[in-house]
Amino acid sequence: MKKSSIILIAIIAIAIAMILVIYTDSSTYSTFAEAKEKNTELYVVGVLNKEKDLFYDPVQDANHFSFYMYDNDSTECKVVFNGSKPQDIERSEQIVLTGKMEGDTFHATKILMKCPSKYNKDEMEFKEATSASL
Amino acid sequence: MDINYVGEQLLPGKIGQFFVILSFGAALFSLISYFFATNNPDEKSWKKMGRIGFILNAISVVTIGSLLFYMIYNHMFEYYYVWSHSDTSLPTHYIISSFWEGQEGSFWLWMFWQMVIGIVLLFRAKTWEAPVMTFVMLCQTFLASMLIGIEIFGSRIGSSPFILLRDAMDAPIFKDPNYLSMIDGKGLNALLQNYWMVIHPPTLFLGFASMIVPFAYAAAGLWTRRYKEWTNPGLPWALFAVMILGAGIIMGSFWAYEALNFGGFWAWDPVENVSIIPWFTLIAAVHVILAFKHSGHGYFTATLLSLVSFVLVIYASYLTRSGILGETSVHSFTSLGMSGQLIIFNITFLFVMIGLLIWRRKELPSTQKEEEIYSREFWLFIGALVLTVACVQMIATTSIPVFNGLFGTKVAPPIDPIAHYNKWQGAFAVVILLLTAIAQFLKYKRTDGRKFWASTIASLIVSIVLAAGAIYLTKTYTNVMYILIMFTGIFCIVANVRILSDAVKGKWKLTGSAVSHIGFGLLVIGALVAAATNEVISVNQSGYIGVKNFGKEGDKFTDPGENLFLTEGEPVQMGEYRITYTGDSVAAPNVYYHIKYEKIDEESGKVKESFVLSPFAQNNPDMGGLIGTPDTRHYITHDIYTLITAAAADSHAPLSKIKEEEKTGFEEYDEPATYEVNIGDTLRYRNGIFVIEGVNKEAKLENIPLKADDIIVGLKIKVIASDQKEFNAEPVFLLKDGNVFDFNKDVAEQGLKFRFTNIIPDKDKLEIMVYQKPLPEKKWIVFKAIKFPYINFFWAGTIIMTIGFIMAIVRRVREGKSKEQIVD
Repeated sequence: MKKSSIILIAIIAIAIAMILVIYTDSSTYSTFAEAKEKNTELYVVGVLNKEKDLFYDPVQDANHFSFYMYDNDSTECKVVFNGSKPQDIERSEQIVLTGKMEGDTFHATKILMKCPSKYNKDEMEFKEATSASL
Repeated sequence: MDINYVGEQLLPGKIGQFFVILSFGAALFSLISYFFATNNPDEKSWKKMGRIGFILNAISVVTIGSLLFYMIYNHMFEYYYVWSHSDTSLPTHYIISSFWEGQEGSFWLWMFWQMVIGIVLLFRAKTWEAPVMTFVMLCQTFLASMLIGIEIFGSRIGSSPFILLRDAMDAPIFKDPNYLSMIDGKGLNALLQNYWMVIHPPTLFLGFASMIVPFAYAAAGLWTRRYKEWTNPGLPWALFAVMILGAGIIMGSFWAYEALNFGGFWAWDPVENVSIIPWFTLIAAVHVILAFKHSGHGYFTATLLSLVSFVLVIYASYLTRSGILGETSVHSFTSLGMSGQLIIFNITFLFVMIGLLIWRRKELPSTQKEEEIYSREFWLFIGALVLTVACVQMIATTSIPVFNGLFGTKVAPPIDPIAHYNKWQGAFAVVILLLTAIAQFLKYKRTDGRKFWASTIASLIVSIVLAAGAIYLTKTYTNVMYILIMFTGIFCIVANVRILSDAVKGKWKLTGSAVSHIGFGLLVIGALVAAATNEVISVNQSGYIGVKNFGKEGDKFTDPGENLFLTEGEPVQMGEYRITYTGDSVAAPNVYYHIKYEKIDEESGKVKESFVLSPFAQNNPDMGGLIGTPDTRHYITHDIYTLITAAAADSHAPLSKIKEEEKTGFEEYDEPATYEVNIGDTLRYRNGIFVIEGVNKEAKLENIPLKADDIIVGLKIKVIASDQKEFNAEPVFLLKDGNVFDFNKDVAEQGLKFRFTNIIPDKDKLEIMVYQKPLPEKKWIVFKAIKFPYINFFWAGTIIMTIGFIMAIVRRVREGKSKEQIVD
């Protein structure tokens, strides 16, 4: 057997092993209830509770923004984002949060928003906000 | 009912639509003709017809582009594309950017470049013309089909840039024949209104488009059984594609750094990944082609990598254009419902690749000879495989949404994609850099082991010393991976500088490769240092008030945040800088926020250095609120990057919500205070004092005739502000026909309004009412500042790498020519 063939096989093996590792790195979309159980960083998908006030007072603290969100099981939870308020969150139709649960509040490190486009109902805009790197 | 619309210009659209169809038909005709020209090389007429088809296609592509430009330039909002991607306020120099905001325009750009490449091939490809052009025209046919925009058997093929607004949308406004006079375009995304966006997409698309050529040559080599020959003309094209695509990718990175607000130059966004994947595979292809040319080893790998690179370009275009990345990427195109067409495009080229390789599998040139370990080709081959594995990693993670779509799973991408990719790609970078260093000391076929080790170890020692210094200087000793990348990067540079010094002595052949590898080494080091040691300097240092709700000790959320709050005119110390928000200025549609940075000498208190950064933001509700664009101060060793993350709303939104006719003139004032005063009294207001100086019985009012028994009195008031400025006001009291009127007076500079409301003879007092405006809320901004050290290595490395590629292309073109002469 040629050396190159041996190396080729070795590299294919590495590639397969790598893909398996990648999928252990991957995450799942979950709910607030699951976030409470797991206590690790994960994604939560949901919608903004537009009835309750969004809190952002940059004069007091430019890095604190909080709001209430319903997850896909319609559980409501307070979300705190360690950064400035993402523009246009009021308009969002769907929010994907990255972060973890601490006590009864969800601490988000990243907020990805889906906003309806003003012009075209079928078109969606996506926005992303990342908090201070923690 | 037909409506006669006013002001529409339908002719350009009709001409455009005609040329869209013609470009498709001509490309298809040319494809078929070239196909038969390849199979019947003796019949010259096929080739002639292929050329005619190509020229017709070229004319159509140029006409489509010119018409689109004409329509955008003249603001013909009756066309959906023009309406969607421009408006009347768009500066002329950004019209060109409107081309690539939409999918149709970017497909056109791709076609345009492919057409330009086709012209070069027509003149230069000679015997290769027919088979190579067959593949180019196959691709051109697919691209042309993306613009057709006609429904066939119930499904729409492509999306035309010439579709009318009223056909694309259903809105009540189109009932009005005069609708055109009432609309303006949606405008171009603020982020695309950047000079880098004028140059980055064309470069990137030229790179993508030129990748068809190595594909076409490799495929033509298989098809016409000219297995070994294709690498001679194919190699310069592959180098060209790698050079342009690399430059285009880094330009995009520079645009992201200069204009986007994520605070960095590379985010491992799927859109970035899919452009770098084919770049990696084609670089691998270039190296294996070289190995094959010099040793005869690796024909299959060289061909496969050249072919697969272009298939991956199409895959990239599928990922970014089909909308499948929606949940994971913020800047992909929205879907135009063409994913089916894109999938067919992709699968066709994949099948061409696999089909040709299977068809000719028994004839592929191969050597039975074993590769030497001490040979350059062996390590080139290993390097290419490592690059391929690096691509597999990127494809696997980036394609998670595709797998979700295929298998109905709901796997989410890694929580922290940047860390995820850095972990993998950092490791690959170490191996690649190591290989680029040692492979340069090896010769093709057989190397003297002793010589090799002598030069390798010498460079290794120099590199260890240099790396130790560099790691100390750039503070990258915190992480083993940083140390490894830094060391291998320097090793790569040192080894290639050594080769370069040999080149000066007369061995010119390797100059291009040495220079481009030095550039690559610098690029990686620059990226490492800037990404690993950039620090947010806008950290609140003056007694940060932790958020009370979760004040546990050591809790990461009580750490100082990265956004700093600044009030106008109040300096704040931020690290070594004293910063002041000095105000804003408006250059519609942008608001510029001026932040003054001053470096103060601690001993003398003098300002050592001072500069103003003016990051700006566009408040465009149609585009989704405030879009910040950073401003960056560039130094040789580092950059100071500043971005607005929030600002006082009043500089953006008009204040008055009350309708004009309901205004009383008092809305902006606080509740008034009523005083009973005498002449000579002094009273206080928020910003100073005012004195009742006296009454003026001679007061007059214009337009109001007075009778003898009417009483009119003015009250002289002198306002003295805290800064000693004086103002005079004279409110008037009028008793006319038994009715009381009063006429107020403003002191606008001080936000004061006086009313003289009554004269009380019993008490011998005068009644006044004083209105004060609330103190104006000071303007404020929230901003973020990041220091990027040594980022200039990243940009400089790119430039050096590109120069190296140019040198290599020149060399390979010359070599190709001299070989042709030998053949002739």
